[in-house]
Amino acid sequence: MLLAVSALTFLLSEWAPGDFFDEMRLDPRLSDETVRALRERHGLDRPLPERYLRWLVSVLQGHLGFSFAYGQPAAALLWPRARNTLVLTASASALAWLAALPLGCAWARRRRGPLAAALGGGTAVLLAVPDVVVALALMVAALRTGWLPVGGMASLGHEEMTAAARLRDLAAHLALPALALALGMLPMLLRHVRTAVAGALDEPFVLAARAHGIPEWRILTRHALPAAANPLVSLFGLSLASLLSMSLLVEAVMGWPGLGPLLLEAILARDFHLVLASVLASTVFLLGGNLAADLLLVAVDPRIRAEGA
Amino acid sequence: MSRRAAGLASLVVLVSVHAAALAAGFLAPYDPAEQNRTMPFAPPTRVRLFEADGRFHGRPFVYALDEAAADGGRYEEDHTRACPVRLFVRGPSGGLRLFGVDDPARLFLLGTDGLGRDQLSRLLHGARTSLAAGLLATGVALGLGWLLGVAAGYYRGWVDAVVMRAVELFLALPWLYLLFGVRALLPLHVPPGRAFLMIVLVIGLVDWARPARVFRGLVLSARERGYVLAARGFGASDAFVIRRHIAPATCAVAATQAALLVPQYVLAEVTLSFLGLGIGEAAPSWGNMLSALQQYHVLVSYWWMWLPGLALVPVLLAWSALADAVAPPEEAAA
Amino acid sequence: MGPESGALLAVRGLTKVYPRRRGGRVEALRGVDLTVGRRRALALVGQSGSGKSTLARCVARLEEATSGEVWFEGVELLSRRGRALRPWRERLQLVLQDSATALDPRHDAAAIVREPLDALGRGTPAERRARAAELMEKVGLPAACAARRPRELSGGERQRLAIARALAVRPALLVLDEAFAGLDVSVQAQVARLLDDLRARDGLTYLHVSHDLALMAEVADDVAVLCEGRVVEAGPAQDVLRHPQHPHTRALVAAAASLPALAPQERAC
Repeated sequence: MLLAVSALTFLLSEWAPGDFFDEMRLDPRLSDETVRALRERHGLDRPLPERYLRWLVSVLQGHLGFSFAYGQPAAALLWPRARNTLVLTASASALAWLAALPLGCAWARRRRGPLAAALGGGTAVLLAVPDVVVALALMVAALRTGWLPVGGMASLGHEEMTAAARLRDLAAHLALPALALALGMLPMLLRHVRTAVAGALDEPFVLAARAHGIPEWRILTRHALPAAANPLVSLFGLSLASLLSMSLLVEAVMGWPGLGPLLLEAILARDFHLVLASVLASTVFLLGGNLAADLLLVAVDPRIRAEGA
Repeated sequence: MSRRAAGLASLVVLVSVHAAALAAGFLAPYDPAEQNRTMPFAPPTRVRLFEADGRFHGRPFVYALDEAAADGGRYEEDHTRACPVRLFVRGPSGGLRLFGVDDPARLFLLGTDGLGRDQLSRLLHGARTSLAAGLLATGVALGLGWLLGVAAGYYRGWVDAVVMRAVELFLALPWLYLLFGVRALLPLHVPPGRAFLMIVLVIGLVDWARPARVFRGLVLSARERGYVLAARGFGASDAFVIRRHIAPATCAVAATQAALLVPQYVLAEVTLSFLGLGIGEAAPSWGNMLSALQQYHVLVSYWWMWLPGLALVPVLLAWSALADAVAPPEEAAA
Repeated sequence: MGPESGALLAVRGLTKVYPRRRGGRVEALRGVDLTVGRRRALALVGQSGSGKSTLARCVARLEEATSGEVWFEGVELLSRRGRALRPWRERLQLVLQDSATALDPRHDAAAIVREPLDALGRGTPAERRARAAELMEKVGLPAACAARRPRELSGGERQRLAIARALAVRPALLVLDEAFAGLDVSVQAQVARLLDDLRARDGLTYLHVSHDLALMAEVADDVAVLCEGRVVEAGPAQDVLRHPQHPHTRALVAAAASLPALAPQERAC
């Protein structure tokens, strides 16, 4: 799968007009000879299959190609960025799920009334407000109130701080993009949680439990939620793709140094190996997330577990 | 509100928004590219009926901005010059416009941007770009998805295998990353007209896989229907069967898909242009208008620069309500 | 020429094997032989899963048989494909049982009858319309039905419509797959009478495929009993019904006499 993605994107990138050194040619300080020498050094004058093979070898060695703009292997640039994206998406996911589960359960239990109306209207509106606008609005709020730092992931003087202060600083910087991302995901999650839990609450065994006089919260936590776990875990896997896409945008808007801004910079510098590496990294993220969701599914669903055994 | 009523209401919203975009040349008081360098970030002009000294005018009027007093983004009205708002005026190039004011006053109903361009005119002309990009990209994605999905579902065999592998490949990538990746392959600096086409094609080509999968599933079940067997039985050609039986079976789903995809693609154009990878600065689009907000002082100081983003909200709401309304009942129940 | 020149349709050693997903294979037909004379009506009777629908589809070339021969009007059909098959395709029409999917719900009755003519480009549009009206009259559908969609027609009317559509291309043989299933007894009788009339007037030949031995004994001249992909008994309809030889046929006869729910479960082959 990854191989196919890589071959496809590599081939496409070869059709692309211009390369990094074409942009360089515009620089009057560099002579044509210099540019040609540079291309030769990086093997850009070789035939296509050879370049693909060399790139593949570099991928297998863990370098993921060579970034011309930064003058170092793409992997070295990628890892810290990928880590930051992981931190952001993981915390945003946690935030969104923590909000979606109780709200969704409440919504599923009372399908009419003011709470349901508020949630219904809220999700519809939130769904219609572009993520860019949500992110920008949060930034304005932060700038106006000064409660949270805007942009980047560390304050000046980060290096001199104690470990605890560093962590607090990171959390403060993380709060805004994580909130933006969580708000972006929330409406979709909330709707699905409601549907799944409502479906479980309509099952006959829930009716039976009610008839036995088991308290409502116990029914919810002991009976309905486990029954709804399967679709919810699947939802987690499915929501990863949109989470990553949204994250790209939020990172770019809020200046969180994740994969998104890296990809943007790479595109603007026509640094194809870095573009390729970023796209590949996002795919790895997605596949990894789906794998985790599958494993989780096996863990929560006794039926699948039994089948596997 | 019933689904039907919501669908109808959203249809009204969408038709009026698109009509306004189409009639941008008439509704917009200025050319979207016309700059007033002395009036950057001018606030929305106040339309008045009473003069500063209390005199009443039967016809709405505006005061000209006092350019001499303009300083550091603070604007003063020049109360000596009341310029009436006129309906049906001729623009500089002779085109008819709904309203306008005489020089030296300017009627910036929604303020100006950093180059002193009328925000309302840009919003209307930008709607043209952004909405058209969404619609055309949907056409490309649905068209390609339909062709490949129907071919895969109808002919099965190796066609199906190849198409479905490609679908899996495309769906394995987070779509914004893929979109940006493909965008990366194209030249950075292109004139707006070509950039528009490029964006439409990139969005459409990147996202054909989802509709293709839906159509394939639909055709797989449609081709096993008795009437399709009967048609093959009397020697109807594949083209005839597809035209008479398969294509009509996909219509309802195509409509739902379109209503789901258009808003996503409008957003995709906005996102690309916002980040400087879409349609260039000269031609307005809601995305490149919003990108001014990337400067902090614009973000916090000039609320009217947010309007393209807010304009998106009713459009997206209407599309999703429409998608709900046109979805076949069994899908809506799920 | 074919094995029996007098016969309109002759099936010889027809087999059909479906590959299963996890290895293994299903033998739906294991060497079926059938002969249908001109203007005769042969009924192929078997329980569900006996392979009778597969046979109907293989003969109509909607599915490819694994091996065997199908002789029709003195020509072997299985060796022909594409263009070479086309003239024969029209001469041999499949009428499916009335179900939700036999008729396209999006077209009205007139368009459904006209469809074969449209597909093959026969005549001018006006001629096609006239021919469609003629066909509907022929199968006893009132003109008022022309503008109705399948949903708005009764089961009997839908079955007549399906027959009219098959007749549009002037076939010599109709393969009728459960043509009477799901119809009331009185409607079954009407459709049977229609088929008899058409046979007398146009010289049609029928190959019925059904699970209902008693009914088939009424409408067909000859009966062949299919069990697990093989013909286990064949002969004149009344003989087979009255004096079944094979245990499976006896089970079918017994089933017809008792309530459907009490039909014997095991298949004795």
